[in-house]
Amino acid sequence: MHDFLSLLPLVIITTGAILLMLLSAFESTKVEIASYISMGFYGVAFFVQLLIGCGPETTIFSETFNGMLVANNFSMAACLVILGCGFFTAISSHSYFKVNRFCTLEYYSIMMFSVCGMMLLTLTHELISAFIAIEIMSLAIYILVGYERKNVKATEAILKYLILGAFAGAFYTMGAALIYGGVGSTKFVEIAATLNIDKTISPLLLGGGFFIIVALLFKIAAFPFHSWVIDVYDGASAPITGFMATALKTAAFALFANFLALHTTMHDGWVTFLFYLAVFTMFGGNLIAIGQDNIKRMLAASGIVHSGYLLIALVAMNAEQFSGSVIAYYLAAYAIGTLGIFASLSYLGGEGEKRANFADFKGLAKVHPYSAAAITVFLLSMAGIPPTAGFMGKFYVITSAFSAGHIALAVLGIISSILSMWYYLRLIVNMYFHEATDTFEVQGRPLATAGTFVLVFFVFAIALYPVVV
Amino acid sequence: MFAEVLFIAFAALSILGAIGLILFRHPMKGAMSLIVTMISLAGLYALLSAELIFVLQLIVYAGAIMSLIIFIIMFLNIQDNDLPIEEGRYLYLAGGIAVIIPIACFMIKVVKSIPAHQATIVGNGFGGVKEVGLVLFQDWLLPFEIVSLLLLVALIGAVVLAGKRRLLK
Repeated sequence: MHDFLSLLPLVIITTGAILLMLLSAFESTKVEIASYISMGFYGVAFFVQLLIGCGPETTIFSETFNGMLVANNFSMAACLVILGCGFFTAISSHSYFKVNRFCTLEYYSIMMFSVCGMMLLTLTHELISAFIAIEIMSLAIYILVGYERKNVKATEAILKYLILGAFAGAFYTMGAALIYGGVGSTKFVEIAATLNIDKTISPLLLGGGFFIIVALLFKIAAFPFHSWVIDVYDGASAPITGFMATALKTAAFALFANFLALHTTMHDGWVTFLFYLAVFTMFGGNLIAIGQDNIKRMLAASGIVHSGYLLIALVAMNAEQFSGSVIAYYLAAYAIGTLGIFASLSYLGGEGEKRANFADFKGLAKVHPYSAAAITVFLLSMAGIPPTAGFMGKFYVITSAFSAGHIALAVLGIISSILSMWYYLRLIVNMYFHEATDTFEVQGRPLATAGTFVLVFFVFAIALYPVVV
Repeated sequence: MFAEVLFIAFAALSILGAIGLILFRHPMKGAMSLIVTMISLAGLYALLSAELIFVLQLIVYAGAIMSLIIFIIMFLNIQDNDLPIEEGRYLYLAGGIAVIIPIACFMIKVVKSIPAHQATIVGNGFGGVKEVGLVLFQDWLLPFEIVSLLLLVALIGAVVLAGKRRLLK
């Protein structure tokens, strides 16, 4: 019974996706209705996931699925983050498509399918199922990126992302094949069992692990596979960019952490490699972000920096008793800040996202003081200023690095965090210390405004949660 | 011994086909060399006694998918002057090779570490339809099931990206 319950959120989301797919065949269904339906399904799945909670680590239907799906606290937390991302993206899409009219009903269905893929990815402890889950997620995201067919930038973005994503997929399968060659199985349990006997990583396992890590680094946009992210985030519509930056990253990091945590030897073998990657990702991302004038491009680059912090958490994690709490907390904190900014960009961006640069938001605080305040909160959270969620996230990551003995990495993380203030504060300065030249008219009754303020509440709620509990 | 010669021949052919796919300028020539790769891969599967995969590779990939691709290329009627002028493609190629060389060295090292085994023919109907079916529906039920989701996404995606779009109010 508990097996089925652990799978229930996934079942709910899949049902919702298929229902929306069927509904889109009817002429009479409106796009708004579809967005409400998808919000409903995300909400229900979120609360079901929250209610089920999670006891000890359980293998879901171990007889039928041969131990390929494993639910634990980490997968539960990751699923909650992903479902929350889906919910708030549906809200921002609702407002975004009031102004930009290229939405059809399939949009929400595809988004739910990608959430299915992401949730599967957090649960799966087997390489082939993980590959299929990655492909479900990526295929759906490619389609969402290129949804506005008349937009040249979106078309460029989907083409770049599709071709590079296919490369990453090929690397992944290559890695899985090598691991199968070395171990004779693709299940994490069996790989761990082999490592238990051998005590060292065999060359085949090393090669396989390398290729799988390359594919995952591509998905999380870490150095040196980060260059696609700027153009793709810029080309996609604002709600989808937010969705990619948060939900996709959460799912990919869940698999990354599960893969490294399968055995201590595995984690130890890759620590040095990940150490340098984390440093280069943080500073490379910062350098790119400082040079950007477009907000979406800046946020894409800052997403690279946040991947760097998450890599610190991966370096510092304890593979022996893996809980993933630091990673899950950071992902939640980062997701809330990013989703918030993209929700506000969805309703402030205007038709065809005409307000895209820093300069376009000059004097926003004079016209929309509450929205400007909300954006400020999100930016401060991403920069890591107390008492926001982002600060607590960075605090946990850096203290975990300290306690794992990676003092250099922790110090570099702090330096990178200080550097990142530059581009976050730049937008705040633009909003507050300039006269308004634009009227910033907001059409309709945007649901995204409400979503933004709910997210502001969550920024503080999540920050205070570990203090209170 | 004979199997080894066949293996080397098929492997070389498949790599040559792949190189041709990248180097030929005209899409039709590229598609033709891709067929060479597909068929030689089928040969490699046959050497591994994977009967079902061998048949599927020939029917589905070398047959159905490739004829679709060729059909589309012919449909578009691409002439030589339709193709973009690619300046410095050899420069990019050289750059790509420079990136790949260390990875290739690494791979050679990995492959060399595989202990030598005497190749024997596996019996008991290995690779047949029944055996693959049993493995697929017993051991690999989950991947089999979730592939259906993947296909569904691909289907909707094709409709959304290429189909006629009726915009809603």
